[in-house]
Amino acid sequence: MSNETSSEQAVRAAIQIHSKRVWRFGLALSGASDIADDLLQATCLRALERHHQVTSYERLDSWLMTICRSIWLNELRSRSVRKAQALSVTPEAELVATGPDVETNIFAAEVFNRVMELPEAQRETVMLVFVEGYSYRETAAMLDVPIGTIMSRLSNARQKLKTVLQHDEADTVRRSGK
Amino acid sequence: MKFSDETLLAYLEGNAEEGQAEAIEAAVADDPTLESRLMALDPLAPVVHRVFSAVPSEAPKVELPEPQPSLPSAAGAGVMRLLAVAASVSVIAVSATFWATRPAELGWAQQAAIYQSLYTPDTISDMDDSPAALDAQFAKAEAQLGRSLNRDVLEDLPGLDLKRAQVLSFKGKPLVQVVFADAEGRPFAFCVIKQGDAAQNTEVAQAVLSGLATAKWTQDGYGYMLLGGDDQADLTNELDTLRGVFTG
Repeated sequence: MSNETSSEQAVRAAIQIHSKRVWRFGLALSGASDIADDLLQATCLRALERHHQVTSYERLDSWLMTICRSIWLNELRSRSVRKAQALSVTPEAELVATGPDVETNIFAAEVFNRVMELPEAQRETVMLVFVEGYSYRETAAMLDVPIGTIMSRLSNARQKLKTVLQHDEADTVRRSGK
Repeated sequence: MKFSDETLLAYLEGNAEEGQAEAIEAAVADDPTLESRLMALDPLAPVVHRVFSAVPSEAPKVELPEPQPSLPSAAGAGVMRLLAVAASVSVIAVSATFWATRPAELGWAQQAAIYQSLYTPDTISDMDDSPAALDAQFAKAEAQLGRSLNRDVLEDLPGLDLKRAQVLSFKGKPLVQVVFADAEGRPFAFCVIKQGDAAQNTEVAQAVLSGLATAKWTQDGYGYMLLGGDDQADLTNELDTLRGVFTG
């Protein structure tokens, strides 16, 4: 009984601590903030239901991320796919417009859009490694693919993203009136 | 097999030599240390991290069912509370360990070098370096920094053609990047960051960062850095001039 209660408390604490990153991962998976809301909520309820499965309090964050991804793939993805495609046309750039000046915001929005336009497998890998800081092997375990797959997805994503900074330069030049 | 930072960076930038990419990917599978080095060198990771770590701006709402009713006896409830605290602490500890073992956070100089290393001659060849454009850029940059950038000195640096002054930001501190083209049209940069009065003065330290020769020093609340076009660039002349002019 006491073990059960403590694992429930641990899961509740983990939800508090990691809700932002689960939401962010949900956004990256689905491409829409309302679906990210739903994904977070469903993930947390599912995690609480399964708190008795928790055998170690280490890595409850990656456990939550795995649950989130599984709900996305198995339950929400097919329903939401049209919406996700629409995102590449109208990205939710206002989500990132929090910087101190216009140029910073434009650059941030550009990075945001480019990441969100990546193919789904590259996008989730970029989020887990670049944004959430998981190692290649941790990410490989979470996504259930070989580590080499993680590295080649990142290589492909880097190729698509590395023009962002150069584009930023070009935009700056255009804005300055040349 | 040993891989140099340059080799790893070339891989990360998609410029690895024939067969190197496969060799690196195979080696990383068995070598967590190499994996950490590779992750820490990745020039895109901090850029993407910075943008997405601000999303969402506020903690999202989650509605959870109330916890199960606790045990009836006061003693039992006390134990429960202790367990709950222990569990939360362990989660926080794990979380803290995770953050502590992430690749070390990069300083402003490393970040500026990563950014600068993505510049190519094409990046700067079309910049509007008309006096009017530079006037506006310097006015803005100097206002952000709260000090003069000695534009006349920068314009007279031998062998360098002043292209642009751009305001960036590092952890909320204004960071100005002044870009030049060298005689071969390659990018060269001088960066100034306002660090505040608490910053310790430091002597000139030279290092190769992200494949660029750099020289960095701190004086009277400002950090300065020169970045050459490659790892062999000779910064001596510029360093002598700028050290004399940017004294605080």
